[in-house]
Amino acid sequence: MAKKWGQRVRNWMANKMDLPQDVMMDLPRITMIGQIHIYIENHRGLLAFTDKELRLLLKQGQLLIKGKSFVIKTILPEEILLEGKIDQVIYITDNAGGAK
Amino acid sequence: MKNQWIEFLYGRVTVKVTGRGLERFLNVLTRNGLHIWNVKRHGTETITFKMRLQDALKIRRFARNSQCRISFLQRSGAPFLLKRLLKNSGFMLGAAAFLLLILFLSNMIWGIEIKGAKPDTEYQIRKELDKMGVKIGQVQFLVDNVEGIQRKLTNNINSLTWVGVELKGTTYHLQVVEKNEPKKPEQLSPQNLIAKKKAIIVKTYVETGQKVVDINDHVEKGQLLVSGVYGQEGKPELTAAKGEIWGETWYKSHVELPLVSNFKVYNGKEEEKHSLLFGNIHLPIWGFGKPEFKNYETETDEHKVHFLKWELPITYVHKTIREQEDFQRSYSNQEAEQKAIELAKKQIKSQLDDDAKIKDEKILQKAIENGKVILDIHFKIIENIAVGQPISKETPE
Repeated sequence: MAKKWGQRVRNWMANKMDLPQDVMMDLPRITMIGQIHIYIENHRGLLAFTDKELRLLLKQGQLLIKGKSFVIKTILPEEILLEGKIDQVIYITDNAGGAK
Repeated sequence: MKNQWIEFLYGRVTVKVTGRGLERFLNVLTRNGLHIWNVKRHGTETITFKMRLQDALKIRRFARNSQCRISFLQRSGAPFLLKRLLKNSGFMLGAAAFLLLILFLSNMIWGIEIKGAKPDTEYQIRKELDKMGVKIGQVQFLVDNVEGIQRKLTNNINSLTWVGVELKGTTYHLQVVEKNEPKKPEQLSPQNLIAKKKAIIVKTYVETGQKVVDINDHVEKGQLLVSGVYGQEGKPELTAAKGEIWGETWYKSHVELPLVSNFKVYNGKEEEKHSLLFGNIHLPIWGFGKPEFKNYETETDEHKVHFLKWELPITYVHKTIREQEDFQRSYSNQEAEQKAIELAKKQIKSQLDDDAKIKDEKILQKAIENGKVILDIHFKIIENIAVGQPISKETPE
């Protein structure tokens, strides 16, 4: 309950004070360039990587990217730049996927 | 992959990792600050990526705790390039030696060409050059510069009037003018001899022509001495009068000589400095620090460094610093007088012909003022006063 409260307060602050959501709420910031590049900031680690699929851990849930011929161009503790042909970007949340 | 060139400089390696839990291993690496990029998957249990050479040294520590096996595939970048270069250092050494050799040979003397000299003078010049060290195979830095060679040659060889020394690349070109000038053609046009200044005739010697004056005659400037006209009246014949008429002439000379004068003289102490000049940057090779002398004069000798036919922006500078000392010369009144007379004589002689003689001198006025001896001297000189004057045919005398 407490966690939710915190979340709510932050959400409210972000709304009312016009602050960027990703900073306030620790959300990933995803930048895509067409189909070929995807740049994800604020992830929590690599879960799976093949040339057709990349699975990243987020603060809440996971991010699944599907496509073809993936290459990780750069990987830093909280950032990742992926290259390849991206078909899908899917969020997997706790309650829906039940992965956690 | 922030800056490829920096990665190139530090060196990079391609790593192949096989095993299970590859993603976990990657996470461990990134969280520990290891920089990796170009991660690719090959099949289910293999992954390749690139990383810095520095980081590659640390990777084993992390690999030990995982279930992966590591192997290095490819090494690239500057450190590996350098390693290969060292391995093939023979080539580098050869190339460097070659350049050095050419540089050395470009600064040698390869030829001495002498133009305009007779064989015996040429031989003399070559001998003199040999003595100076200017010979084929000598390095140019060890030789005097062009002006010095020129000066020494003209001083040491009497039969030379002038020698032009030029350094073209590795060859010295010497242009020689010898002293034996062609004899003046005999002047055959009719002439008289006239006096060039007021004098009393002392001695006469007439080769051709009619003598007009005699010993102890007083002549004015421009007076006829020897006539080129002779023969019967009404039918004169013209000839070129030749001869010498010696007359006593008078000169007045005014000299001033300070009793005390200061000079700067070298006292023999000297320092030598060698340095290289790259553009404007001075790089001393030998002889450091400022000279200890209070008063000194610096002589600079510069040699450009050549490479083949090009002049490099490098100059070899050789400086000689000589100490000077102040030297005070003081004369007594009598000494000063004598010196002043000598000085006056020298002055007079420089105005006269070589064969003129000073017969007598007389001090007209003597004064010592402001620490100076002031003399007015009267000189009696015996000299040849005859000069030629052409006779025009239209108006024979």
